Amino acid sequence: MNRMILYKEWLKTRWFLLAAFLVLAAGTFYMGLSLSKTVQFNGADKLWEVLVSKETVLLETLKYLPLAVGGLLAVVQFFPETARKRLKLTLHLPYPQGRMMAMMYGYGLAALTILFLLQATVLTVSLRHYFVTELVVRIMVTAAVWYLAGYAAYIWVAAVCLEPTWRMRVVVIVLLAALVRLLFLSGVPESYNGILPWLVLYVLCGQVLIFHSVARFKEGLQD
Amino acid sequence: MKKIGKIFIGLSLALLVLWLVPWVYRIVTLESYSTPFTLYSCVVHDFTSLDRSDARNFRFIDRKGNVYGDEVQPLFYHSILASKGAFPDSLEGIPVTEEMVEHNSVILSAEPKEFNVKKAPVYLLMESVPVRLELHDPEDAFVVRKNGLAVYRMADNTLLEEKTGRFNAALSAEGFRFPANLVAGKPSHHKEYDEGYLLTDAEGKLFHLKQVDGEPVVRHFPAADSLDLRQILITEFTNRATLGYLVDRDNRLHMLRPDGTVIPTEVRYDPAREDLLVVGDLFYYTVKTSDADGEHFFALRSDDFSLVDRMDRPYDFEEEVNLCKYVFPCRLSFTSSDDGWVKPRFSDFSWIGLVVDLLVAVFIIAWRWRRKNTNN
Repeated sequence: MNRMILYKEWLKTRWFLLAAFLVLAAGTFYMGLSLSKTVQFNGADKLWEVLVSKETVLLETLKYLPLAVGGLLAVVQFFPETARKRLKLTLHLPYPQGRMMAMMYGYGLAALTILFLLQATVLTVSLRHYFVTELVVRIMVTAAVWYLAGYAAYIWVAAVCLEPTWRMRVVVIVLLAALVRLLFLSGVPESYNGILPWLVLYVLCGQVLIFHSVARFKEGLQD
Repeated sequence: MKKIGKIFIGLSLALLVLWLVPWVYRIVTLESYSTPFTLYSCVVHDFTSLDRSDARNFRFIDRKGNVYGDEVQPLFYHSILASKGAFPDSLEGIPVTEEMVEHNSVILSAEPKEFNVKKAPVYLLMESVPVRLELHDPEDAFVVRKNGLAVYRMADNTLLEEKTGRFNAALSAEGFRFPANLVAGKPSHHKEYDEGYLLTDAEGKLFHLKQVDGEPVVRHFPAADSLDLRQILITEFTNRATLGYLVDRDNRLHMLRPDGTVIPTEVRYDPAREDLLVVGDLFYYTVKTSDADGEHFFALRSDDFSLVDRMDRPYDFEEEVNLCKYVFPCRLSFTSSDDGWVKPRFSDFSWIGLVVDLLVAVFIIAWRWRRKNTNN
């Protein structure tokens, strides 16, 4: 049954995952090209100078990509469940409902993790070519918040898709907007170092929103 | 799970309201506030402030209410006075020329945000004595690591092992204990000369490191050994009167002379909380520190940095009616103009807001309980 659920999720998301992979790859390639051209025309020492003296980590062009990928994956995966009333059928399968939902969004989180890890690895390797470890760590720790925004978007948008009433949908959307605002509040490198573990915990706790929406769906609440 | 979801949403909304509503209120009710530019005058020997009510005519007012023109600050407005032929021949009994004035003009400013951020442990290494005299962009950088500095050539990200060895050996020979702690420098070619870096070692001792002809030049300042330093500012002024400013744990500002002597001043400056502005001339330094409560001015003699005069100017804006404190127990914000951190900051605690919120909560619980019982 587990394999069947995963296969169902794969069928729903495979084209989107391919598109997301291509978009992330294109973004990463563009970033790499941009870096190499800057080095070619201005020298790597200019980039070092910018990294050390300015409030930038050079990758700002990519900062909203994980957010978009996370949010859209949730739409692709969960919107058909409610729009075509499949969720009612899914929840009536002879399988524990909680586990079913955990499998579904666990699949999504795993897919996002693979995509994000791939991009972060390629970026780290590329950056390591130009910069010392200390600067690369600084860049990637700063970028960790952007990836966290991707997970947050996935979880909150999934909850919005599964939520049966518009009133609660608006509440969850408002919370997501505030969370995204918080995650992109500062452009100062490493400014989230202290709060990052708490934000990770908060985003992980956000998974209860998915179960909350499903429970309300099961109760038959609707507009 | 539904109950946990409700609690999660409720808590999140409560935090959101504590964050956004006071923020919006502040944005709506915010009014600009500025203070007049103030300098110590070597003519009237008093602090004179620019009269903002007559900004077009550049009038200055001293603490007694006397009004002056540009001539009260002849060293700061020397170009204007010279263009009018009004620049004095002598001041404080000493003949002065415009060249002397320009040579001894000093301006330095610092904000808490410069220090309250996570900095990369990477420092650009300039050549302090360039062959063609003009400073040029650094080619190497050193990275502060636990067991020493590591010097890299930035162009190809290569560790220069031999140079690294020479720098670490030079530091060790002067008694430097790794790792480096505070490191202060201005690696930019937009200055007249380069003094490299002032840095403290693991024991808090102060050292000077610069690169001359590609070689490390290191110097220990024993005079600063007794100071528990919390911040260093390198100066690199034209007149080379100081090498840097040192701030100890008691927030006392010390002047570090190029010869290694350390002169304590009466200035108290908390780099984590206060802005600093130093405007110096041939005779006096006006040092301004400012925090959330007001501004503090110190006039120091330029030769020995002894205190001549001081003035405190608390902000005189009226406390506005803060309606939020009647509604919320506190205010939540995540950023501050004083640092670069994003973290939860609860402020403006209000007992009134707490009581009001508790009463509202009790009312809602009672209303829901009553409604539930009525339905049953």
